[in-house]
Amino acid sequence: MPVPALKISNLRKVYRRGTVAVDDLSLTLPEGEFFGFLGPNGAGKSTTIHCITGIAEPTEGKIEIFGLDAVKDYREARRLVGLCPQEFNVDPFANPRQIVDWMGGYFGMPAHARKERIDMLMERFELVPHQKKQFRELSGGLKRRVVLARALVHDPRLIILDEPTAGVDVELRRVLWRYLTEINKDGKTILLTSHYLEEVERLCRQIAIVANGKIAREGTKDEIAGKPGGLEQAYLVATGAEADHVAGE
Amino acid sequence: MTIETPMPGEALAGAGLKEPLGINWIGLGTMVRREVSRMMRVPIQAFVAPWISALLFIFIFGFVVGSRITQIGGHRYLEFVLPGIIMLNVVNAAFLQSSSAIYFSRFIRFIEEILVAPLSYAEMIAGSLSVVVLRASVTGVGILVLGIAFGASHIESFPLFLFWMVAVSGVFGLLGIIVGLWSKSFEQLNMPVVFFLTPLSMVGGVFNTVEMLPPWLRWLAWGNPFFYFINGIRGAMIGFDETPPGLGIGLTLLLLVALSLTVWRLYAKGYGLRE
Repeated sequence: MPVPALKISNLRKVYRRGTVAVDDLSLTLPEGEFFGFLGPNGAGKSTTIHCITGIAEPTEGKIEIFGLDAVKDYREARRLVGLCPQEFNVDPFANPRQIVDWMGGYFGMPAHARKERIDMLMERFELVPHQKKQFRELSGGLKRRVVLARALVHDPRLIILDEPTAGVDVELRRVLWRYLTEINKDGKTILLTSHYLEEVERLCRQIAIVANGKIAREGTKDEIAGKPGGLEQAYLVATGAEADHVAGE
Repeated sequence: MTIETPMPGEALAGAGLKEPLGINWIGLGTMVRREVSRMMRVPIQAFVAPWISALLFIFIFGFVVGSRITQIGGHRYLEFVLPGIIMLNVVNAAFLQSSSAIYFSRFIRFIEEILVAPLSYAEMIAGSLSVVVLRASVTGVGILVLGIAFGASHIESFPLFLFWMVAVSGVFGLLGIIVGLWSKSFEQLNMPVVFFLTPLSMVGGVFNTVEMLPPWLRWLAWGNPFFYFINGIRGAMIGFDETPPGLGIGLTLLLLVALSLTVWRLYAKGYGLRE
């Protein structure tokens, strides 16, 4: 049986003040999957992602990335993951080229490999005219491109995108969709969170809906979105928002 | 565009990456490059300000006040105060470098770039400290050059001078990391400077010997770590030493080990870093 790209077993995350953000969450992503990870704000999506990538420490449970323990073998495991976070966690005075270059450096890429890769990413995301500007001077869409380029600089096998198209115009959204589809076809595994259901429906083959820190529903796109009402209805039912929604109407 | 998908471990080997001694040298070097770049955005704050302040100290205490003070231990007053002035600025540079770097990266959250990278805690700490030592040394050597230009000083033992510069910047770099991790506001970040560093350094023997203090106040010097740092660098520069040989070095090394272990433990616990 092939090693999954990501295997989360019974993940639990309790914050210092006692908030249970993730509760007994298990998930498996085969290699090459395009996986939609949905849920309302505060459901535990970002916390799960933070536990996978090392920003947060799991309270209980195990996370394996291509068979490597994300805590014990963190060095090797992290090399295989690229994270595009929801928020712009970037030095605002640095320029896009520096931001991407530093990230490549942290991942141990030698200067020549970094240069080659950064040139390609700058071109691909149409950042060449902006690569020497300070990050804080860029528009929201350009900032999003920089953060995405930073996530991809070390050519990770598992790419985690936490709401990558939030606040992005239609044109860039389509550029990103095309790019993500392309790299997924090339074998990259992608975990995507988004509040745009049509985006998830268009891109993902497998979907999990998380609510209150637990997986409320999981299956293929057809299984979840193929019924009357589509993905939206399935989402509202799984997250328990259906009753409120109907009442509101 | 072709994207290769190497197996675990191949990503590293395939890109021609090597990690001698199991250390992510490129990552470590990148931390240094990045911090140097950040530091060079504010060269006036980082270097010119302490040099001007030292120049004023040298002028006032060396010439204006110093000309009215008799020699101390066979040395002109300017020669006596210069090591203390260097040490004051080394301490400030080291503390401000590490505390502001850590706090700013936590505040803006770009510390997450380091947290998601394949860097060990020891590498993260070593990366921060390298820049601390660099900034503190450039500051200290700059002041030394100013002192020499004023005909003030020479160095009796260069290895000892180097030891004190590096060891003390290490101590305050580590303290700065702890404060940077602990602080939740810019106000908190400045508190240790206002309430501890400045008062303790001023009464740590920059301007006077222990003998000049009234006997009932001498405990203030003996119990003040700054006294050993200033006395140590003064011994390395002009050979004037008020403590038993080895005591200051021993205490400083002990402090360095204790603080290193504390910082390592804080990183391992994720204090102020991980959620």
